[in-house]
Amino acid sequence: MKNNRFVAAVLIPAYLFIGLFSLFPVLYGIGISFFDYNPVNSVQPFVWLDNYLKLLEDSTFRHALVNTLVFCVVAVALNMVLSMFLARMIFAVPWRWLRVALRVAIFIPCVAPKVGTALIWKHGILDTKAGLLNQLVKLLGGSSVNWYTTTWPLFAIIIVFTLWSDIGYNTILFTAGLEGVPEELEEAADLDGAGPFRKFIKITLPLMRRTFAFVTIMTVVDYFQHFAQFRVLAPNGGMNDSAMVLTNYIYQTSFRDYDMGYASAMSTVLFLMILAVSLFQNRMLRANWDY
Amino acid sequence: MKRVRPIHALISIFLTVFSAVMLYPVVWMILTSFKSNAEIRVNRTGFWPEVWTLEGYRSAFEYAPIGRWFLNSVFVTVVLTLIVILTGTLIGYVFARYEFRGKKLLFLLLLATMMIPGQVTMIPRYLMVQKLHLFDTLGALIIPHLVGPFSVFLSRQFISEIPTDLFDAARIDGSGPLGVYWHVVLPNIRPAIGAMGIFSAMGTWNDYLNPLIMLNSKEWMTLPLGLVIFDTGRQQDLSATMAVAAIIIVPMIVILLIFQKYLIKGITMSGMK
Repeated sequence: MKNNRFVAAVLIPAYLFIGLFSLFPVLYGIGISFFDYNPVNSVQPFVWLDNYLKLLEDSTFRHALVNTLVFCVVAVALNMVLSMFLARMIFAVPWRWLRVALRVAIFIPCVAPKVGTALIWKHGILDTKAGLLNQLVKLLGGSSVNWYTTTWPLFAIIIVFTLWSDIGYNTILFTAGLEGVPEELEEAADLDGAGPFRKFIKITLPLMRRTFAFVTIMTVVDYFQHFAQFRVLAPNGGMNDSAMVLTNYIYQTSFRDYDMGYASAMSTVLFLMILAVSLFQNRMLRANWDY
Repeated sequence: MKRVRPIHALISIFLTVFSAVMLYPVVWMILTSFKSNAEIRVNRTGFWPEVWTLEGYRSAFEYAPIGRWFLNSVFVTVVLTLIVILTGTLIGYVFARYEFRGKKLLFLLLLATMMIPGQVTMIPRYLMVQKLHLFDTLGALIIPHLVGPFSVFLSRQFISEIPTDLFDAARIDGSGPLGVYWHVVLPNIRPAIGAMGIFSAMGTWNDYLNPLIMLNSKEWMTLPLGLVIFDTGRQQDLSATMAVAAIIIVPMIVILLIFQKYLIKGITMSGMK
């Protein structure tokens, strides 16, 4: 259909808006990263690549970068395996009402804000005196640990928290994907005498490859941006920056220290990383995977 | 119904226990919000309240403008959700049904904005909001987010699946583009609107980063930011902190229980295309 007046009336305001609040900020941010930009100062000198050179020598940035990457790889991998496994098990539950109830129960942490649930973990699970985790430690004969003064354990706990808080989302996605696998294929495999495990590896997984690839990459892009649970459980990056991630470091640098030029240089690095993942995704999803 | 094999029964039992463990923190929050701080001090590790009390909720309302935060959250969530549905369906309609030059490029541009992380636009948006004199107002949470690329994407997908006959019939009846939008598009994509609405509402209600950056005074805060401020301010008042958390989380759980069918469908739609 053609109606250029209507198209223009809708799209011109829409794209002015998108330009102003989505595209312009990206360029603006990259621009600021070349300045010693501090809103408190009256002059904002142009410093060429100084902010980027400073990144190379900043050990906190290095920790944040490495931790962000580790977080993305480990948490996403665990998320994929666990949610696929859960989805397959839920799929095997013979009663419909129980399948629905399980999906809803596993999804409940997902509908709550991560600041809220992280705060619950802070008081209910990680508390030094009475948290569930230290009760377990004591039950096993150990003595209470102040988790906030630990290095990798705190980081690991945040990963577990993250999995707990949003595994339901991918589980639901995968359950839907499993329901799309044609039953005849599974029945044919049954006749061939394939066990459930082999059936899963040989038939279900290949058929879900596309969903799997899509979900993995969306989850990676999402996990790069996680912030709230780090802010609540390791506001200053934990012991020796062991739980510092880029998002939190960018926040601190820009809104506690007001060193916005430097923070923008970090944001630009984060942006480039996410862009690389997205481009990779585009290439993968274009591949022809039909059978 | 499938034949129930022992292995399936075993899996069912395992999953039931597993989801109970997953729900533990949420249940703990609700139970703790009904304890008194005196009880928490004496018996910190107890699970079930010995005496049920509303002390925590009373204290929450006394020491923080919870009512105000709640209204702020409701206002931003409702307004933004309605606007995002309106702009998403309108722009999606244009992309699904009209031909014009540069269509592909414009659509790609829109999809690209979905990949821009919040941390990248955060500093520039903060500076822009300052310049527009929106800092520390609810407008700062609403105005930069009036167009949601995900809603446009989902609408386009659904609108292009509406049979062409319906559009032709409406046009023969003399409807203009807006008439078609109102009488054909909107009634035919209700599931998509439901999904968009739930996602947008959930995202806005739970958002922490934007309020953290854009707001300064207590009177304008939304619940998630207020909760963190409350927790830092009243560290010995655990029952009240959990009461505030419950005020944020329980409404979302209720919405999930009511709309779980829509929500699960919505997630599936967002992931399959």
